[in-house]
Amino acid sequence: MNLNHHYDLAVIGAGPAGMAAAIEASRNNMKVLVLDDQTAAGGQVYRQIDRNYHKNDKLFFLGEDYWLGKKQVEDFKHSSAEFFPESRVWQITQDKHVFFSRKGRAYQVEANFILISTGATERPMPILGWTLPGVMSVGGAQTLLKSNNSGADGAVFAGSGPLFYLTIWQYLNAGFKVGAVIDTAPGRLSWSHYLWALPALLQLNLLLKGLRWRSHIRKNTKYFSEVRSVSISGQSTAESVSFLDKYGEKKKLYASHVFLHQGVVPNVNLTMATGLKHYWCPRQLCWHPETNIYGESSLKGIYVAGDGSGIAGASAAILAGKTAAKHIVQYSRRPSIFITFLSKLKRYKHVAARPFLDILFCPPKEWRVPFEDETIVCRCEALKKADISSAISLGVAGPNQLKSFCRAGMGRCQGRMCGLTIQKMIAEYNNISEKDAGYYRLRPPIRPLTLGELASLAED
Amino acid sequence: MSSQGNKVVVIGGGIQGCATAFFLAKRGQKVTLIEKDRIGRHASGVNAGGVRRLGRNILEIPLSLAAMDIWQNLYQEIGEYAEDFHPCFYLKVAVDEAGRELGLMRAANLREAGFTHEVWVEDDVIQTRLPHLSIPTHGGLIVEGDGWATPWRIVQGFANAAKKNGAKIIEDCYVNSLTQSQGLWQIQTLKGLFEAGTVVNCAGAWAADIARSADDYIFPLESFAPMLVVTERRPKILPAVMGVLSHTLSLKQLENGQFVIGGGVRSKANHLINQSDVSLQKLSSSIKLAAKLFSEIGNAQVIRCWSGIEGYMPDELPIIGRGRRNGLFHGFGFSAHGFQLGPGVGEALADLVMGQQPRVSLEAFRPDRFIN
Repeated sequence: MNLNHHYDLAVIGAGPAGMAAAIEASRNNMKVLVLDDQTAAGGQVYRQIDRNYHKNDKLFFLGEDYWLGKKQVEDFKHSSAEFFPESRVWQITQDKHVFFSRKGRAYQVEANFILISTGATERPMPILGWTLPGVMSVGGAQTLLKSNNSGADGAVFAGSGPLFYLTIWQYLNAGFKVGAVIDTAPGRLSWSHYLWALPALLQLNLLLKGLRWRSHIRKNTKYFSEVRSVSISGQSTAESVSFLDKYGEKKKLYASHVFLHQGVVPNVNLTMATGLKHYWCPRQLCWHPETNIYGESSLKGIYVAGDGSGIAGASAAILAGKTAAKHIVQYSRRPSIFITFLSKLKRYKHVAARPFLDILFCPPKEWRVPFEDETIVCRCEALKKADISSAISLGVAGPNQLKSFCRAGMGRCQGRMCGLTIQKMIAEYNNISEKDAGYYRLRPPIRPLTLGELASLAED
Repeated sequence: MSSQGNKVVVIGGGIQGCATAFFLAKRGQKVTLIEKDRIGRHASGVNAGGVRRLGRNILEIPLSLAAMDIWQNLYQEIGEYAEDFHPCFYLKVAVDEAGRELGLMRAANLREAGFTHEVWVEDDVIQTRLPHLSIPTHGGLIVEGDGWATPWRIVQGFANAAKKNGAKIIEDCYVNSLTQSQGLWQIQTLKGLFEAGTVVNCAGAWAADIARSADDYIFPLESFAPMLVVTERRPKILPAVMGVLSHTLSLKQLENGQFVIGGGVRSKANHLINQSDVSLQKLSSSIKLAAKLFSEIGNAQVIRCWSGIEGYMPDELPIIGRGRRNGLFHGFGFSAHGFQLGPGVGEALADLVMGQQPRVSLEAFRPDRFIN
């Protein structure tokens, strides 16, 4: 492996933002390193685009938005950026050392600038039975579709959000049978929806596309809207889904595969563990790293771009990656107010519809904190809602203190599956805001790392 | 003297402070413990939890043995929390001739000084006791009955037991200043004014700041963050706590199968803003050594790494004793090996506060030893 010790720019994550930044920076003669844990560039959205393209029957069911990524991946491959796939970055230090593992060994590089573009992760949807085999996230189902062209006939989709509709639409296009669609989005729109719908008209294409997906889904699946109280049951694997339909009538569907989704949130594990400042975004109900319009974080020279800095989608991510790289290339020259204004304006075109979408698909409390006491909240330590509630009632002020009381969040997922739920539970019990309840203190290694790999860093 | 005069305020809710508050309360003293964050939040709650007499500085051994008496009867003192202490045996092996020489010399020195708890054993004994060991050793030092504890639970246990005996424990109570007038200490905190005839400073990495505020000695105390890693659960192969002679390593396997590796590797810390770093690569040589001892360990996945903020003295011996000012006592600077000592220190400080002779000499820990 031909790795240098020093780079001008190290990019973590080869999705739309990371690739855009790498292309722009290497065009400007910077020495760029790109690390990604997948086997190929593309991120979640353009996953395996290269391999899928070279198949005889190009997988057109994935949709035109997916194939837009082809050109970017080509440009990235032809750039001078050094790309190491299958690299798991587990620590970034504030003096800009990047630590990662690859094929059983650990490595360390130093960079003048670092761009973190590790994208989004799905918000967990903790309902009764969500840990049963056969239940997975909609994002996981989409990953299987993109990487192996595989899916499950008769699966039930439960949840809401843009990725929810897109994936079902792709599923149908690919020729899989969809068992049923259980849409949890609240039906009634309020005045604030209409208010935010106005700027959203700037991204009319996006809205129309969403409506098209939805009507296609309504026509071609057994579709239930405004659903509440979803739970999954089964002996050792998922067997059925129960819920209340919009008339309050109890329904039960048989399904061995259930796919859940309540939107995506920035994957903050790396940015938090690096020590960047974060703020609570009340509209997206998640933590965002603090950045300026160019993506520079609270730590000089460390940037965040793409969905990892706030959910805005692929086109905004590409722009953000490019903008960050331009700022890095001309780091010594401070951009004028005019340029900053222009950058904001340019970005606005790509995010105008976002507040509307955020409000439209904002997950109600029911999908963020389970209703039943027996529902598992922390999967790693197998802690039920009741276990967490009783620990909180002992006088826990925040998620970190909860760790000592019941080990919640101390497993290998490092809180990815329970952090937001636990934060909300603590906030409610103590009658404080979610922001004040705070989040887990995240510590490296934030990706799987064996002791053997870590030992390989030792000098002989 | 006013009614405040016979009150004691303990500053710091780590193991030293909680044990001190416990022993004072148990003997009928009016005690208030104030903690700027939460009980067991820093080094006391997040250390490796080693309860060891093995390998201690010879000056520290009497105190360590006295502390062990309390550990062995811990249930009487703190009740069910004592179940989180797991006695087994502690073994420090030699992996080369240099280590062997060092160990043999230490064993001879201890024998000469009359200590019998720590003895030298040869490789055949070690191999029988640790059948999963991957390499032959060059012998090692062993102490039977040493072990490990869940540190946060033990601290909590002392805090609870102190409360049961009438002590008040006040958290989130940062001390702004400490002044003395007419024989009475006035402690200004975020939660108001406290008055007491006696103050015990068990503030860990923050203790030198407390002493400075009280116009006591200026202590050469430095903050660092000792680090630990914990792995996923693996099959049980290690029934002891282990170290390696002339190397920094502490290795154990919890009851649930997780390995915990640490051993004195320090990271940067800034106690003023409660911030500590972890730099995993600093642990890499300790881990390499652990993986050499048990090849199975190399496959274990790290799931967490953490550090706590601790106060270090230049000679790595604690400060325990009377301060320069009347009615001020100190117990801090344990330099990352104070957890096992905690109960012993609590008892000794309670003795000092009550004007009694502690059962072991504290001469080596005199607060004025750095003052010319």
